Amino acid sequence: MPHVVVDPITRIEGHLRVEVEINGNQVTDAISSGTAWRGLELVMKDRDPRDAWAYIQRICGVCTTAHALASVRAVEDALGIKIPKNANYIRNIMAATLTVQDHIVHFYHLHALDWVSPVEALSANPDATANLQRDLLNAYRLNFTTPTTGQTLQSMSTEAVPHDFPAATPQYFAAIQAKVRTIVESGQLGIFSAQWWDHPDYKILPPEVHLLAVAHYIEMLDKQRELVTPHVIFGGKNPHPHYVVGGMPCSISLKDGNAPVNTARLAIVDRAINMGRTLVNNYYIPDLVAIGNLYVKAGKVDGGGLAKTRVLGFGAYPIENYSGTSNGSFFSNMLIRCNGVVENFGAGVANAAFHELTADDLKAEDGFTEGVQHAWYEYPENSNPDLHPWEGITKDKFTEPKVGTETVWQQLNEQGKYSWLKTPKWKGQLCEVGPLARYIIIYTRAQKGMLPNPTWAEQMMLEQINAVSGVLGLTPEVWLPTMVGRTAARALDCQLNAEINRFFFDKLIANLKTGDTTVVDNSKWFPEVWDQKCHGVGLYEAPRGGLSHWVSIEDSKISNYQCIVPTTWNACPRDDSAGHGAFEAAMIDTAVQIPDKPIEIARVIRSFDPCMACATHMFDASGKEIAAVTTDPNFR
Amino acid sequence: MQQRETLWEAYLRRGLSRRSFLKGCFALTAMMGLSLDKFNDVVEAASGRPLPVVIWIHGHECTGCDESFIRSASPLASDLVLNEIALEYDHLLSAACGEPFEAHLDQTIQNYYGNYILAVEGAVATKMNGAYCMSGGHTFTSLLQKAAAGAAAIIAYGSCSSYGGIQAANPNPTGSAGIEMFVGGKPVIKVPGCPPIPEVMTGVVMHVALFGNLPDLDSDGRPKQFFGNRIHDTCYRRPFFDAGLFAETFDDAGAKAGWCLYKLGCRGPETYSSCGNLRWYQGMSYPIQSGAPCIGCANAHFWDEEPFTDRLPKYGKIGDADKIGIGLGVMATAGVAAHAVASVIQRNSRDKVAEENRHDED
Amino acid sequence: MKEVKRKEFYLFSPFLRIFHWIMVTMILILFATGILIAKPLQVMTPEPFLTITSMDLVRDIHFVAAFILCASLILRVYGFAINRGDRLFPRFWEGHFYSETVDVALHYMLLKKEHASYLRNPMARASYAMLYVLLAIEIFTGFAMYFMNKPNGTGAALFGWVNTILGSEMMTHLVHHYVAWFIILFAIGHLYMVVRAEFMEGESEVSSMFSGSKILAHNPKDANEVD
Repeated sequence: MPHVVVDPITRIEGHLRVEVEINGNQVTDAISSGTAWRGLELVMKDRDPRDAWAYIQRICGVCTTAHALASVRAVEDALGIKIPKNANYIRNIMAATLTVQDHIVHFYHLHALDWVSPVEALSANPDATANLQRDLLNAYRLNFTTPTTGQTLQSMSTEAVPHDFPAATPQYFAAIQAKVRTIVESGQLGIFSAQWWDHPDYKILPPEVHLLAVAHYIEMLDKQRELVTPHVIFGGKNPHPHYVVGGMPCSISLKDGNAPVNTARLAIVDRAINMGRTLVNNYYIPDLVAIGNLYVKAGKVDGGGLAKTRVLGFGAYPIENYSGTSNGSFFSNMLIRCNGVVENFGAGVANAAFHELTADDLKAEDGFTEGVQHAWYEYPENSNPDLHPWEGITKDKFTEPKVGTETVWQQLNEQGKYSWLKTPKWKGQLCEVGPLARYIIIYTRAQKGMLPNPTWAEQMMLEQINAVSGVLGLTPEVWLPTMVGRTAARALDCQLNAEINRFFFDKLIANLKTGDTTVVDNSKWFPEVWDQKCHGVGLYEAPRGGLSHWVSIEDSKISNYQCIVPTTWNACPRDDSAGHGAFEAAMIDTAVQIPDKPIEIARVIRSFDPCMACATHMFDASGKEIAAVTTDPNFR
Repeated sequence: MQQRETLWEAYLRRGLSRRSFLKGCFALTAMMGLSLDKFNDVVEAASGRPLPVVIWIHGHECTGCDESFIRSASPLASDLVLNEIALEYDHLLSAACGEPFEAHLDQTIQNYYGNYILAVEGAVATKMNGAYCMSGGHTFTSLLQKAAAGAAAIIAYGSCSSYGGIQAANPNPTGSAGIEMFVGGKPVIKVPGCPPIPEVMTGVVMHVALFGNLPDLDSDGRPKQFFGNRIHDTCYRRPFFDAGLFAETFDDAGAKAGWCLYKLGCRGPETYSSCGNLRWYQGMSYPIQSGAPCIGCANAHFWDEEPFTDRLPKYGKIGDADKIGIGLGVMATAGVAAHAVASVIQRNSRDKVAEENRHDED
Repeated sequence: MKEVKRKEFYLFSPFLRIFHWIMVTMILILFATGILIAKPLQVMTPEPFLTITSMDLVRDIHFVAAFILCASLILRVYGFAINRGDRLFPRFWEGHFYSETVDVALHYMLLKKEHASYLRNPMARASYAMLYVLLAIEIFTGFAMYFMNKPNGTGAALFGWVNTILGSEMMTHLVHHYVAWFIILFAIGHLYMVVRAEFMEGESEVSSMFSGSKILAHNPKDANEVD
């Protein structure tokens, strides 16, 4: 029985190692291991809570902004700050912008090369490719736009014509093909080096699709940077834009000559939002549906794993500003009410169960917990095996692998500890999170009649699912909880977020019109007015799934800070009673044609868009000091 | 020693246009220590245009530097990655993974030994023999040492690889440090920032491409042209500083008017970066322009120089140095006053005793 | 009352005395402007150039004062060279320094009625030496920040290393700011001690900084240092 190790998994954020046992074509056991630990949790202790966002944002530069946003939400929850309306809209624009850009980068630059190959593109006919592009736009453009009535205040499309439209000319594709040929023939493959290009899976798609996708890979590499300009306007830069506890630092004034945000700056945001919509509607969705359709037709409907059993969401996009998360206000005005857990979706909606998530679940001792059974951490001897994040402890305890030494690993020990990720649980159970989870939850809720008065965004999600089901000819229960479904849900999420971006931009403009330009609530800025001891939670449906930050503040310093990150939910090591995490379950649910070339494993892992630096455990404290050896050459 | 013709001359001799010269990045090979004779050999051997080989490795990092790199507009990341350099190893963009990828790394190091550029993103974890940061079943430290040995030049991208970064902040649980001490004494071009400005990252490569040499470095190893000034000295809000116009709190009238953020803790006065002149996204903005005080992310120890929203650190409920100073001043004044009174009493009693003694003598 | 015989000791050259009073003035100016630089006044007036709160002006005053202080050091050095009374070191290397320090300290703690007579007592000597150390820190950190507006210039080459030693320029700011407070605390103590010595102990500490001479009733223990 071959034991296959894939380390490093590339085209992800951070350091990930997977190991699989393969029997025939079937994976019988799988290990997912985060292989780096930076100890940021210990770095956070005793810092000023108002600075927390800056530190914790450095968890990850790919989903930059996600951690900053969850952090300011957590700190504001703890301190009881209600941010101004404008700040809420701007943060939602920051979040939606991140989601759109991140999903596009994921699909084209981190995921596409699992499906398409520059080598295959060489045999494509440029004329046929141009025709294919036209056909794709005809067949697979799922046009959804922000509804013009009801919940949006005004639907002002500022775009006269679509400015970023896919080229469908043979000359264009011939030029791309010539470039790819030069690269391949030069022998210097660069980023295309050493992949299993001869794997039969690359034959599933016709050469023209390969050429088309390679062309779009390059185009999107150029365009993605322009999608994040809202971060640059509102946060000063990207990656790692700036935030402030109490709102946003980007003061708005339409009367001052040197204001951080004025009409001209808003126009840049507007342009980026328009561009996001065009790119996702004309490139991403048609490409995705075309590739996904061919894969489904080829029988590739595996890789669902935990999605069939249990998915979790926190709910997304507070429509208006709210007074806190742990007091429930966050949950009461969400644009996407995916706050809950769906179990057994794989068995069909009729057999699935939905549990709504409320503020009480966040505070319950046994609601959300983390265990360290197979993680390189230890809890004190008499401690509960699963700890609530407000009481969380991070004390590293590295153990050797099964085969190999401390610093040279052959095979990790699945019986013992094998990852720097903790195992997060909801009521003792493991869950999958991500765009797929969000779609499964909204779909199940709606089907079960537990989604009263759907918002336009929820309505759009349901329509998107129906449209894709129509193209694939499968019911959502079949196609959603699969590897293809996970990747498809991300594309749909991208389209949805492009519209959400527009929605909140319109709301921002409408509110500015009323004369309200406030972006910060300063009333609780100074520590003198803080409670001596308080704690808060910040929730955010990040591109990769539900993200929660948990902060405890004591004497105006951070006394404990824990993050339960989407990739921790998905990539966590197993639990002896609760079973496998989503990565491991998905790998076990995946057939591998050629054990030496486990491209299916890499592909199913990448369908989660892993973000390992996020996942490797973030936080702690509770006074566990680790003696530090100074490596500072200045001996400071 | 034989006079080496400049690359531009070489280009003219070959009848190539300036455009192809600029696009070609041939000059990188010169930096890699190849003479033009050898260069011709490489051209023939590769039966195509050889591109400078770049190996990009990741230590303790967040991939934000990679992301920043692909945000570059001039040169565009696609031009750079597909046309200017051969990015043979990079965890973010490379197609391959696992064993073949690691084998390809070894092969690349061997094939281009002494001739490739090593870009490093992320800090080195020194504690526990480096087991806090593993990649491909080996420690990042060993990967760095292996890759550095054959590198023609080493670029440290970001504050983590330059100085240790966030994981090296107090108490530095993993013993993280910048790469400089782990590359066998080779010179390191430091490009600090969290992350650095995209065009600064690509600009370092572009400089080599355009001029055929390494950019001038300051004493810390940073390219002078990108890190030669403090943000404060190039900031467009500097006139407001000079005039004494400050935002006092976030979003007050001064903040809306775009006045100086110094009193909100801005680190511009001590941060070396191109934020003030080059700015982000081709002049679109930088944190200060968007109303956010600089946190000094290109500085060596900026994570331990918090709080970011105050110029002076506060010591618990006591306050900052000025409050403590005033307190000590008042206490000192009170102290000397009390001392003066006590001294007078002591002197009077001393004089009295002396007087009595004198009387006794009399 | 008994007649007290007094003897005159010439101590301080005019150069030292001029330097001293320049230093006093400049330290006061530097401290005041320094505090304003660290924490500018809150003015929400749109025409700051009409007020004294222009940072530009405040900084210029600070820098000019700093340069005057540094330039006046030449007087100090010249006095040091030509006049023995200008170099009353703390004699760390001599055993009696420590016993005498204890003696003086006990008196200042009001545990002893008086201390032996000195031209300049060992505690004062030590504290003045300390002041020069503090001044040196201020000068080096000050120039390390001042000259870095031109990091490739000569000034930066001469003083830039201070930033490296301290780890970062932010730390230089903090050290500069903190040490300024120590100098002010010194000044409070110094002012009290000299006034006390002048008017209570008859040691002409204040008047000698004008006249250059101390007129003492007793023969000081360290009189040999100016012979």
